[in-house]
Amino acid sequence: MSYEDYLNDEKTILTVAPTGGVHGKDKNPNLPEQPEEIAEQVAACEEIGAAICHLHARDEHGENDAERIQAVNDAVRDRCDDIIIQNTTGGQSTYDARVEGIRTEPAPEMASLDMGPFNRGKHIITEHNRHNIDRLAAEMREKGIKPELECFNNGHVNEVYRLIDRGALEPPYYFNLVFGHGTFTPPTPENVLNLVSNLPENSEFNLLAVGRHQLPLTTLSMILGGHVRVGMEDNLYYRSGEQARSNAQLVERTARIADLLEADLATPAETRKRLGL
Amino acid sequence: MTCPHLSYRRSDDDHEFENERPYCEVTESFVSPMKADICNNRHGFDYTRDCEVYPQEETATDEEPELTNPVD
Repeated sequence: MSYEDYLNDEKTILTVAPTGGVHGKDKNPNLPEQPEEIAEQVAACEEIGAAICHLHARDEHGENDAERIQAVNDAVRDRCDDIIIQNTTGGQSTYDARVEGIRTEPAPEMASLDMGPFNRGKHIITEHNRHNIDRLAAEMREKGIKPELECFNNGHVNEVYRLIDRGALEPPYYFNLVFGHGTFTPPTPENVLNLVSNLPENSEFNLLAVGRHQLPLTTLSMILGGHVRVGMEDNLYYRSGEQARSNAQLVERTARIADLLEADLATPAETRKRLGL
Repeated sequence: MTCPHLSYRRSDDDHEFENERPYCEVTESFVSPMKADICNNRHGFDYTRDCEVYPQEETATDEEPELTNPVD
């Protein structure tokens, strides 16, 4: 993945992350939480050009509930044409809850694989130790689920090399580079360039940036031959002081920028071929 | 155990929802999904220890702490 790839018209994969596990409707009433409203928004994003949807599940109170990921998957399959489902295995819950994301029927084509822990607040630390990462990677490989390797900071890239050395991953390695506050890599263009230069051969990278960094850094990713993730999991605002009306609004802006950059968006079928799903 | 300061409600002065959502009576605001796990003591959390706004005087006790691992 490089600037040369961008110049050579390699297509950009757009992932939408509509919900996440961090925010609630009290922060933005347009955030979809229930299966039907998630599916409705994902379908609108697919229409615009999203090839992958990254999914979380909530209960009726808007709280995280991994057991409802099946219902979310079912609703998305009912509503959408061909979009690739990528379930979360992240978050702060126990391993037994997080593994629900790769035990749906049918299994998702992709799932996130957090490459290490991160901090929230004063006391929350996610339980992504190597034992759990190895178990998730093994089950994903057994089921033919493509892991999206979530690197919250530079050190997590080392953890991917560890999995590659153990033969736990199959190329191409699909990275999700996360930029933002706290444990995440500080969101600067220089850090994007540095991190991308440290990726192994046979890699593809997706860029996720939190809040106001979503727009500029995903744009940078496209120019570097990378892929992009946008959506209300990572950013509740369209611009400063203006809440996003929907996930489609954020996806539409990114699709428009891709068009201006003459970076065509990959269809789900093209994404499957590119990532070897 | 659930935090005694947690309630579920459909509205406050600024919001109105279709379903009841977790609400913190200490901060007088709705609670994020991740923090609601602490309020409900899920995943090994303990709101008396892990909540940043739980009134600490409510965890105080008149009993002397039991030394289970003396250092000498």
